[in-house]
Amino acid sequence: MSDHVPPDVDFGRVWAEVAGEIWSPPTGAGERGLAWLLGSPAFARVIVTTPSLVVSWLLASVVVLGVGVVVTAQTGEPWIALLAPVLAGVGIAFAYGPGVDPAWELSRSMAISERTVLLSRVVAVFAVNALLGLLASFVVGDALTLTLHWLVPMAMLSALGLAAASASGSAPVGAAAVVLGWALIVLGGSVSLGGMAAVQDARLMPIYSALAVVLASVALALSNRKVTGW
Amino acid sequence: MVMNATLSVDARGLTQRLGRTTILNGVDLQISGGVFGLLGPNGAGKTTLLRTFATVLSPASGDLRLLGYDPRRGAERTAIRRRLGYLPQHLGYYPGFTVFEFVEYFALLKEMPSAEIRPAVARAIERVGLADRAKAKLKTLSGGMLRRVGIAQAIVNDPDLLLLDEPTAGLDPEQRVLFRALLREIGQTGTVIISTHLIEDVAAACNRVALLDGGRIVFRGTPDDLSSFAEGGVGDSALERGYTRVLTGARG
Repeated sequence: MSDHVPPDVDFGRVWAEVAGEIWSPPTGAGERGLAWLLGSPAFARVIVTTPSLVVSWLLASVVVLGVGVVVTAQTGEPWIALLAPVLAGVGIAFAYGPGVDPAWELSRSMAISERTVLLSRVVAVFAVNALLGLLASFVVGDALTLTLHWLVPMAMLSALGLAAASASGSAPVGAAAVVLGWALIVLGGSVSLGGMAAVQDARLMPIYSALAVVLASVALALSNRKVTGW
Repeated sequence: MVMNATLSVDARGLTQRLGRTTILNGVDLQISGGVFGLLGPNGAGKTTLLRTFATVLSPASGDLRLLGYDPRRGAERTAIRRRLGYLPQHLGYYPGFTVFEFVEYFALLKEMPSAEIRPAVARAIERVGLADRAKAKLKTLSGGMLRRVGIAQAIVNDPDLLLLDEPTAGLDPEQRVLFRALLREIGQTGTVIISTHLIEDVAAACNRVALLDGGRIVFRGTPDDLSSFAEGGVGDSALERGYTRVLTGARG
């Protein structure tokens, strides 16, 4: 046998190459697409492991927005604009952190920093929820106008969810801040403006935009210290 | 203070606090090469010390160099993490991942070169004796097997500094013997630090040992040095008696 084997063949390396190919499960189309888009298999895997982007979570989001579509079509009230920002804010609060990501402790010792992991997932969760909201708005009718009405509040509540979850180190606290914050705004608007005016009143959008910028800045500052610990 | 860049770990006056409680109280420890055992009772601070060395926690005060780098600096912290392996006390995992996918995920997070990842993952899985379960979902594995998966992700990048917190918990006697051999093998080229309650692991695998109590190092030396304190101690082996004797002495 050894007479037929070139002396420079490293069987251990050959075995590892072959075993690595055989044992490696096929990568899903979504992850492959993300890896191509981001130019990084690592970031693609970071995003597909996001707790608030698993199939069950996405299905729940689709169901909630589906109900919003039906109610909006029947009543004419802006239910999609009410629900879509909350879904994004809660999803971002549950994107990363202790008790949310099973591998959180290990992730904190990795070369790709936890801050990078967090921000990648935040962007991904926001993009997915914005896409779902856009589809829901498209089903109801005037997608562009409707989308403009919820996109800014979505950015504000996403920043609020991230800031509250980062400050407290708790995803449920972040989610509660999103739900409570939005409920207070909507109820306050209902008293002062009537109905669901606060959800899509164009006069409030500059305020929501300013809040989004402030909260996003706070979240970024917190992620640098509270999330990484360094 | 002059830190030694040739050491794998150089800790001077390291302090960690949780609220008002001091977990580590001025720890001085210099470690270079071989297998180093961290012993101590529950609550002594072993896990906190390992988490600090793993760059999971930043020190409240004191100086720390890991592999010659200062972990307080972002770029140097990344350089440390690329050459680090860490097994936490409680390994979190994604139940739907296969063994291969899980180890591969951490190889990706350690920024290993793409072309090296699959062979490195295969080698790590084989080294911990899980070749026949490489394609199994994590949710189907026993506790001992999951522990070995955790060890595989820790060694996948052939780390220069390997930190293992209670690595043999859940392993059966045969696996523990194999694991100690693996530790000795890794310790020949890098530095391994294990935190353990199991004196026999220390006796079999470690060439240096430190005993931590109340957040302070109360002993450092070789296992034989610790055994030399056996007289008057309690335990089944000289090392155990030395351990209990040193602890009793440290507590006055």
